[in-house]
Amino acid sequence: MGALTIRRGREAALVEEVHEDVLQYLTFQLSGETYAIGILSIKEILEYTTLTQVPLMPAFIRGVMNLRGAVVPVIDLAVRFGRHETGVSRRTCVVIIEVANEEMQQYIGILVDAVHEVLAIRAADIEPPPQFGSRIRVDFISGMARVDNRFVVLLDVEKVLSVEEMATLSAMNGGEVADLREAEV
Amino acid sequence: MNLDAAKQTFLEEARELLEDMERILLDVEATDTTDEQLNALFRAMHTIKGSAGLFGMDEIVHFTHEAENVVDLLRSGHLALSEDLSGLLLRCHDHVKAMLAVVDDKATQQEMLQTSLLDELRHYAQPAAVDEPAGSSQASAPEQGGLRDWVMSLRFNEDVLRNGMDPSAFFRYLRLLGEFLVVQPVLCRLPQAERFDPESCYLRFELLFSSDASQQMLLDVFEFVREDSQIHIFPVGEAAAHWPQLIADADEAEQAAVRQAWLALGLDPDATAEPEPAPPAKAADKASDKASEKADKPATGAAEAKPPRASESRFIKVEAAKLDSLINLIGELVIAGAAANLMARRSAQSALVESTIAIANLIEQIRAGTLSMRMVQIGEIFSRFPRVVRDVSKELGKSIQLNVSGADTELDKSMVDKLGDPLMHIVRNAMDHGIESSEARLAAGKPAEGNVWLNAYHESGSVVIEVADDGAGLRKDKILAKAVANGLVPADSVLPDGDIYKLIFEPGFSTAEQVTNISGRGVGMDVVRRSIEQLRGTIDIDSAVGEGTTFRIRLPLTLAIIDGFLVSVGNATFVIPLETVIECIELPPDALQGDAHNCLNLRGEVLPLLGLNRFLELGQPHAKRQNVVVVRYGDSKAGLVVDELLGEFQTVIKPLGNLFRHLRAISGSTILGSGEVALILDVPSLIHFATSQEAERFASHAEHAQQRGGHGNH
Repeated sequence: MGALTIRRGREAALVEEVHEDVLQYLTFQLSGETYAIGILSIKEILEYTTLTQVPLMPAFIRGVMNLRGAVVPVIDLAVRFGRHETGVSRRTCVVIIEVANEEMQQYIGILVDAVHEVLAIRAADIEPPPQFGSRIRVDFISGMARVDNRFVVLLDVEKVLSVEEMATLSAMNGGEVADLREAEV
Repeated sequence: MNLDAAKQTFLEEARELLEDMERILLDVEATDTTDEQLNALFRAMHTIKGSAGLFGMDEIVHFTHEAENVVDLLRSGHLALSEDLSGLLLRCHDHVKAMLAVVDDKATQQEMLQTSLLDELRHYAQPAAVDEPAGSSQASAPEQGGLRDWVMSLRFNEDVLRNGMDPSAFFRYLRLLGEFLVVQPVLCRLPQAERFDPESCYLRFELLFSSDASQQMLLDVFEFVREDSQIHIFPVGEAAAHWPQLIADADEAEQAAVRQAWLALGLDPDATAEPEPAPPAKAADKASDKASEKADKPATGAAEAKPPRASESRFIKVEAAKLDSLINLIGELVIAGAAANLMARRSAQSALVESTIAIANLIEQIRAGTLSMRMVQIGEIFSRFPRVVRDVSKELGKSIQLNVSGADTELDKSMVDKLGDPLMHIVRNAMDHGIESSEARLAAGKPAEGNVWLNAYHESGSVVIEVADDGAGLRKDKILAKAVANGLVPADSVLPDGDIYKLIFEPGFSTAEQVTNISGRGVGMDVVRRSIEQLRGTIDIDSAVGEGTTFRIRLPLTLAIIDGFLVSVGNATFVIPLETVIECIELPPDALQGDAHNCLNLRGEVLPLLGLNRFLELGQPHAKRQNVVVVRYGDSKAGLVVDELLGEFQTVIKPLGNLFRHLRAISGSTILGSGEVALILDVPSLIHFATSQEAERFASHAEHAQQRGGHGNH
């Protein structure tokens, strides 16, 4: 565990040194495609360990894991994007992301097939998301970055991992218990 | 010292004193007053005044001074505590509280000082003052009890230190008997530095002391030094008469210094020696008043804050955050201890196992001790209700009696803090809507005086708090009609009683036609339910028309750590709160036949079974041998079918977070010794769910329009 912890302080300092409008992104593989997330919201990257499955939850919530004493939910992004469940291989990782949830900070893990590298991307190289044709929900995309003549999808973490939306989803299709209780009280 | 921290302490202390004051005032309305109670009232006002002075809150000092005057008259017996007066004092209590709330806002405080309360207070203080010209009676009746001002002249012998006496000890002791108004040291006997002997005492003090002790008692304080030191104590009024006595042994320099000190005390050593006490006494009084205002800051601030502490030092105030972090640490320790225990058992070294067991025992004790630190008696919230009931019943013109029981029931401090408001809502509602007017009560053949009961008790690992009234009860038809009118339920719906009552927790619901000042705006009951649910509690209502209503709040004992019972279903591990577990039995081979629900004959009792594997849709293969954990919640009993029983486990509850907030069958999670996460089953919700699922199954042919998810089994 704890394969590669990114020290945010140092990275942030690096960013400042390089340039004003250059930001760093972590790219990773997910069901055959490359996505990227701004490095500032990433807390650490861990090897996959066995997760504890939470019953009566939708499939995109893979379970919960123990992050040094804190219980952190792990999301299968592929399922969230409407693909098939992510299989577990040697390179499977959990990327721990810090999400602002109302007034609280919350950690959420995402399951990815493999982690690639940290890229510095200039703001000028980022295109707005296309209106359609991107194969995932448009509001999940914060921009398309041109890297070596191909496009990398930059994810909007706040939207993709919106606790509010995911909780509502799980109340709707996942938990019958919840559903019934809601109806009856 | 950090001034902010000190201020915080002051505010906290003031709050406690005010609470005491309120309690006493409400108590004495019912019974006769005792001296002790009156003294406590006085102490409350007096201490707040003194401490406020320390922080320069002159407005509070000013206000409490007036209140203190009146209480002082009460204490000396010149005033009787009438209902009007206790009402006035209660309002003063509120006012001081309000002033403390805006402690940083000078302008508001100034404004708040312009209150008619001061005039009312003076009105009470005035006539008494006319009856008894200040000072004179004090001097003429020296042996009468009550607060008096004394002059003390303490000229310690040079040898007191060598004899093992420490003059400061006398001062400390005197503080217990009364209050120092002014202290004037006379230092002229101090020699030059080269001749100074650190073992000799060169001190002489002239001081004004206010106390209700007798002259003899005060003299007795100095019993051990009286022989060789010159100790003189007499009432302020007789000061001048004793002057020659005081300076008999003194040389000229000392005489001059003592005279200087006396002038500073506001005493006139040259006044005629005849007992004509009025003028000097007045002067002294004035001086002592002035002095006390000045001296209050250093002297009472220090002196007053401590003596009560001395007798109440059974309690230590601890910052809540410190306790919380300690409890978190203990939680981690419990987990780490469990892990060590597991390792030891795997290693099969009996000595190691034994020592980890010893450690586990200690951890268990520490855990229990720490948790009990967080437990407070629910009386802390109950105690504010007598006042509320008194005020509200007066406002409503109803006569209502509050009956409190079980105030010593303990629960987690953090819950106590969050329970106050919901309970307040319920009680106010009970008084406003529940209890009828006296006429209506008499007409219904009930005593004119209504009753509200507050009760708390422990029941199977939870705390139950009941708020009951003997009012009109809830009208089912009215509630249902209102709910239909508001579109909360369909017009033709048939609901069980409990569900109808629960409709009053819906937002925007109120059956009272009249919106009063106290309740009926329809905000509140939904908030009540939400706050109770946030505490992982439930709320139920029992009601009978004409007889009354009972709100029953059921809460878990603590939010932090529970004793759990570990079971496994397939690969998954679950924790069942131990307090809900009654027993475990092996599942007879043919008891569970393909269905999630079934029943078992448990020594002649029907025990409904719930297969966790199927029920939670885990999709795990069945183990060959299965077990049944018999659990209880309230009145219901059920058997949970699991694969393996793993035994008891102390569990630190880790919240699952917002993402899982709709998941009611799981109440939280915990980390096992192996580092894996296990989920904690919420037994009440499970049973509840099972009950409703069953009901739905049997009624599936009937249309239940109000149930959205009408497909119970897939």
